[in-house]
Amino acid sequence: MSAGAHNRWWHRAERAALWVETSLIVVFLGGLILLGAAQIVLRNAFSMGFAWGDGLARLAVLWLALLGALAASREGRHITMGALARWLPPRLQTAAGVAADLFAAAVSGTLAWHALAFVRDSFEFGDVLLGDIPAWWLQAIMPIAFALMTCSFLAQAARRVSGRNVAQRAP
Amino acid sequence: MTLLIAIVLVVATLIGAPLFAVIGAGAFAGFEREGVDLSVVAIEFFGLSETPVLVAIPLFTFAGFLLSAGKAPTRLVRLSQALLGWLPGGLAIISLVACALFTAFTGASGVTIIALGALLYPALAQAGYDERFNLGLITASGSLGLLFAPSLPLILYGVVAEAPIDSLFVAGVLPGVLMIAALGAYCYWRSRGLPRPARGSAAEAWRAIVAARWDLPLPAVVLGGIYSGYFAVSEAAAVTALYVLFVEVVMLRDVAWRDLPRIMRESMVLVGAILAILGVSLASTNLMIDTGVPQRLFAFVSDYVTGPTTFLVALLVFLLILGAILDIFSATVLVVPLLLPVAAQYGVDPIHLGIVFLAAMELGYLTPPVGLNLFIASHRFQKDITEIYWATQPFLIVSVVAVIIIAFWPDLSLMLLDR
Repeated sequence: MSAGAHNRWWHRAERAALWVETSLIVVFLGGLILLGAAQIVLRNAFSMGFAWGDGLARLAVLWLALLGALAASREGRHITMGALARWLPPRLQTAAGVAADLFAAAVSGTLAWHALAFVRDSFEFGDVLLGDIPAWWLQAIMPIAFALMTCSFLAQAARRVSGRNVAQRAP
Repeated sequence: MTLLIAIVLVVATLIGAPLFAVIGAGAFAGFEREGVDLSVVAIEFFGLSETPVLVAIPLFTFAGFLLSAGKAPTRLVRLSQALLGWLPGGLAIISLVACALFTAFTGASGVTIIALGALLYPALAQAGYDERFNLGLITASGSLGLLFAPSLPLILYGVVAEAPIDSLFVAGVLPGVLMIAALGAYCYWRSRGLPRPARGSAAEAWRAIVAARWDLPLPAVVLGGIYSGYFAVSEAAAVTALYVLFVEVVMLRDVAWRDLPRIMRESMVLVGAILAILGVSLASTNLMIDTGVPQRLFAFVSDYVTGPTTFLVALLVFLLILGAILDIFSATVLVVPLLLPVAAQYGVDPIHLGIVFLAAMELGYLTPPVGLNLFIASHRFQKDITEIYWATQPFLIVSVVAVIIIAFWPDLSLMLLDR
């Protein structure tokens, strides 16, 4: 595969991932807004509500947190104290950036691994949430998101080494 | 071994590793040493889905981002100008009030400086204020308003301290007003040499009110439902998000439907960054409590601190240093669980502690090395960071005085609480 084709392929995969990520954010955030409003109307007007409503809203927060954290990883917008590194000479700055990315990738990878163990346990014990939904369906986002975060930190380190534009935006 | 781990964590922090990764690594290392299975960190992280009030965080954040994407900043400045513009130092005071209200909604993530700074900075220059004053004012205003509902740090403190959020919302009002009043008094004094602004026309005031007719009910939407008992904090957040969505997209059409996915994504990047830190810190906090860190901390502190007054002095010094080196969200999730039991020993009310904590951390936005506002203002106005730093000095000093008053006058925070 030529370098150009490889870049195109990578570019397309990234756009697809971005689309999926954004779509899930829209669905979960939109759902959270509508669910909250519906619960108020049902309770105050009809003295009823969805028994699973609160649990679902709380799970949506976990999903949104992980999707947001994934987006933050991709765009290099996690909360850091990296302001200090700005005073390093450019060469050392790159080295420090690569080391920071690798550190973040290592921790995300460890989180993904242990989240997988957590989900596997929950699968084996047959845990359920929101009535009778298998808990591992809802928990599976954890290892997936952390694994993807690991990839995006590694990709960012690779971009730094190759001197290509690092995903960095104004705060 | 412990020392080696500590060095790795500090170095990782300094070279700019995400703080959630640093805290996560600390938790892994600690549990490993205690011989606990490491999947406990993942289990604790899952605890994010077991805290009902957290639902408010994505909803209020989205509402704030949506407001700043529309023309709400312009309407807010116009309204304040029409109502307060006649005061001596009026424009500076307008900037303070507008920034504070805006920050309450956007959670002091730097959005205020970018959204309102663009409007206020040229207006201040035109009114004859000197550049240095304007830079300092806008930079300092960028985090003012953290004490007003429904600010993100206020909610996060409530979550971490397990304190009632509706009480925190009330407790923040008077201390927040004090901070604005103190800075307002300074602005009034500084602008004494400037020509007195002309009195605005009643017609313009009326037009500004009409233009802001959809924004004016917002405080009632946020707080009214909570205090009337019709809905919980998380539900108030859902109603606020729905209301802002309806107003900005359907009624005023300031924001196009097709822009919504981008705005939602932007707001969730901030939420994700904060909640990732909270998630891993649930694990690290548990580790610290299991290993008896709060007790040891108290034993250490009690050797030096004899009573509530010395405790508050020590607390303030500690918080000002903490605010200078750690951002407000990380500081909240890491330090509050340790601080609460110690403060309780000295009879400090957890609600009052929260207000003092946040007021002191607010100043951290203005202090090097990591003061976020300094960096954002430097970037936004293309000025050297040291120039911005010196420009904010007078505002910082006035704010420190206000924070000291807030710390030693607990009733200021607690008098509006019904208990």
